[in-house]
Amino acid sequence: MKRIGVFVCHCGINIAMTVDVKRVAEEAMNMPGVAYAQDYIYMCSEPGQALVREKIKEEELDAVIIAACSPNLHESTFRAAAEEAGLNPWQCEIANIREQCSWVHTNREKATSKAIRIVDTLVQKTILNESLEPIPVSITKKALVIGGGIAGIQAALDIADSGYKIILVEKESSIGGHMAQLSETFPTLDCSQCILTPKMVAAGKHPNIELMTYSEIEEVSGYVGNFNVKIKRKASFVDWSKCNGCGLCMEKCPAKVPSLFDRELATHGAIYVPFPQAVPNKPVIDKDNCIYFKSGKCRLCEKVCEIGAINFEQEDLIVEEEIGAIIVATGFETLPVPNLVEYGAGDVPDVIDGLAFERLLSASGPTVGEVRRPSDGMVPKEIVFVQCAGSRDPERYRPYCSKICCMYTTKHALLYKHRVHDGQPYIFYIDIRTGGKGYEEFYHNAELDEGIIYLRGKVAKIFRDGDKTVVWGTDTLTGRNIEIAADLVVLATAMIPKDSTAELVKKLRIQTGPNGFLSEAHPKLRPVESINSGFYIAGAAQGPKDIPETVAQASAAACKVISLFSRDHLEQDPAIAWVDEDLCGNCRICISVCPYDAREFDEEKGIVIVNEALCEGCGSCVAACACGATQQRNLSDSQIRSMVTASLGGE
Amino acid sequence: MAKIAYYPGCALNERSSHLDRSARDATVRLGFELDELDTWTCCGAVPPVSKERVMNLIAPSRILKNVRDSGRDILITICDFCYNTLKRTNFSIKTDDITRKRVNAFLADDTPEREYLEKDDTLWEDYAGEVRVIHLMEYLRDELGYEKITENLKRPLKGLKIAPYYGCVMLRPQNEIQLDDPENPSIIEDFITALDAQPVKYPYRTECCGSYLSVSSPDASTRLCYRILTSARNSGADAIVVSCPLCFYNLDSRQKAITEAYSDFKPLPIFYFTQLLSVALGVEYGRQGFEKHYVDVTPVLDKIDISTGKGDE
Repeated sequence: MKRIGVFVCHCGINIAMTVDVKRVAEEAMNMPGVAYAQDYIYMCSEPGQALVREKIKEEELDAVIIAACSPNLHESTFRAAAEEAGLNPWQCEIANIREQCSWVHTNREKATSKAIRIVDTLVQKTILNESLEPIPVSITKKALVIGGGIAGIQAALDIADSGYKIILVEKESSIGGHMAQLSETFPTLDCSQCILTPKMVAAGKHPNIELMTYSEIEEVSGYVGNFNVKIKRKASFVDWSKCNGCGLCMEKCPAKVPSLFDRELATHGAIYVPFPQAVPNKPVIDKDNCIYFKSGKCRLCEKVCEIGAINFEQEDLIVEEEIGAIIVATGFETLPVPNLVEYGAGDVPDVIDGLAFERLLSASGPTVGEVRRPSDGMVPKEIVFVQCAGSRDPERYRPYCSKICCMYTTKHALLYKHRVHDGQPYIFYIDIRTGGKGYEEFYHNAELDEGIIYLRGKVAKIFRDGDKTVVWGTDTLTGRNIEIAADLVVLATAMIPKDSTAELVKKLRIQTGPNGFLSEAHPKLRPVESINSGFYIAGAAQGPKDIPETVAQASAAACKVISLFSRDHLEQDPAIAWVDEDLCGNCRICISVCPYDAREFDEEKGIVIVNEALCEGCGSCVAACACGATQQRNLSDSQIRSMVTASLGGE
Repeated sequence: MAKIAYYPGCALNERSSHLDRSARDATVRLGFELDELDTWTCCGAVPPVSKERVMNLIAPSRILKNVRDSGRDILITICDFCYNTLKRTNFSIKTDDITRKRVNAFLADDTPEREYLEKDDTLWEDYAGEVRVIHLMEYLRDELGYEKITENLKRPLKGLKIAPYYGCVMLRPQNEIQLDDPENPSIIEDFITALDAQPVKYPYRTECCGSYLSVSSPDASTRLCYRILTSARNSGADAIVVSCPLCFYNLDSRQKAITEAYSDFKPLPIFYFTQLLSVALGVEYGRQGFEKHYVDVTPVLDKIDISTGKGDE
């Protein structure tokens, strides 16, 4: 029989306070196969690991069990230690007596006996564990970044600079995202365009980056290191290889289409670039609004284009790419104003959202940076800013804090004061949250020196009265109801994931959380990885965040990809499913239950086989297999049986 | 003609009898009859708002159980307070097991059936929220369909600008009532459109009229009603339409006090929705009880030649 060593960790007092660790070690000595047992205060510390290594050699152990915290935390630590001492890493098991025992119980006696059973369960498993070897998988060293906002641009540049090829896919015709819409950025007030456009240009020119704008992901198959991606390049009806970006077509187009980039505060033609600094600076024809596509007449753009770049016959094109890793950086949108029924439901013209106000402030915006309200172009003398418009409102809208609104609203009020000196800004807030370097100082100065009136309370109702926009709110610090007849109201609407993200995650088979944002593999320790191997996440698609955080996350995601590409091949965990060819009855139920598409029917052999690179070892197929042909390595039926018996107290 | 169980409530039996009568007149012309319950008690009015968890639910539960026991599954009410009380009681009974058991224990205890109960408890069937409580306007919208009204118009109210007033309890709390969005409703606007009149949207349509403050702090109610009425008038309304007797009382009768308190105030007629419906369906002008209104409605109806009785059937 195997000689097994059991090492019981105190985790300081985390385990030792509730569990009698010494007794666990003593009892372990009576378990079958256990040749050595010892407790120690911090098993994960270097002396703790040294103890494990030393005893493996001294006691000639064949396997070790570390009774400590969750395997999510330190399984790889201890497997590495075991390997260093000459054991196969799959001969090291973790018995979780912290999260699943000491942290959730108070009765020391009962917790101790539970800890003993947990250890016994792992002993039963370990007796039957096989030594395994990791499965090597090759890597295509080319990355895909989905989303061309600042997150996608930054990630693409970082990966490209390290020498790997990148495809940057963007749904719109230009990269730049929301950051291109902003005027100045908090807390330094540097111009958003000025710091963004050099990066856009760099991404456009980088020899390792292939831009695919006006494109969408059609289909993704494969697995980490070896994805096959189909990308739909939408018909722009302009031959970009010919177009020199002269802009004559856009000048002559008679159609008037509300500009989404300008938050519908201005219009552009049906052939357009979203903004003058677009990268690539090539127009597209909006088929839904083009007069020719609607009525069969016009083609004015075609007539004025001297180089013949307009092509009404162009069709969507599907391109296929081999990809090794995918970064999802699809960004955010904001809760539409019409959704906020108590704030005018979108029917009050002078109620706009923060992004629209950015366009009013922007030097390249529809008012060339003058603050003029949409209804009649008047310069507003009283502006009300409403924070948490749809955020922190679990009953009616979104439960979470959108994080950036406190800062950008203060910035809005301050920039407004800089433009309209006799104007009066009011800010309704629930709390002012200024976590970030230099943020509190920025807010503090604005409140003290800029004459902004902060009102702590929520706004109940906004409606139009003549040419005024009336705001009813409450000031909870004075306990009074407030009524302001304002000239303009700016709502800090909740940040929400893009509509298209929901559709995309289905194609990628990655997870989102309850509010539709992308889920990270671990909220603290794996914040830029998806739980599905080969997918990384960055930016506001993962949750509300500001530019510095977005850029940091993008670089982190890029770093993960670079680290992946720096290896010759990948090592896949071998503790996955396998099929006993003699037992497989070819019912194929396992194919339908596998969430990772890791099972396929082998025509030649007439049985189902496992794609080892795709299998995540979830065990769904094992549970579904009626004839026991499918088994999980190191979690066979006989192991599970003896583990269940041990966990129930033996017999 | 289809008969639908109908609970009038105290106000419609007395002070607001014109609401009751116009509703009965109108519905008959739309092909169904409001069938008043044989026996009914006070619904309890405000108590559902209180923290008391059983006593306030007994009276409305008894009414609802009687409807169920008579083999009917829909109960129409018109007064917003009755609607709110009965619907919320039903909601509690339906969604909370403990409330259901307690209420039924009380009901069983004071029922004449008790003697049978002691012999055979299968005779008793707990009331479990089987009845659907429906506001008449809800019935018109969802069961009959507003288009049926438009088809049957004898005197379309074309040319009238009517401002809806929602009050408080018709729509709130939303998760229990689920009639319309309390912040941005449209059920009365759509009703007005169905009568061929023009709905007037104004910001105060969902603000408080003062409700029972009319009794304890009449000045507060006067101020609130002044704002509602002025806002509606400034938005171009010829009149306001309501469904709640208390809203009607505050908005109509209180205009005497408002006129004394605010020199710039101009009176605005108030209608029950059933009166406009009834008039539009051709019911005799004289049956509408307009003489009970403090503010004379004839100038408004003159605009479309109705007050003369033209078009009466």
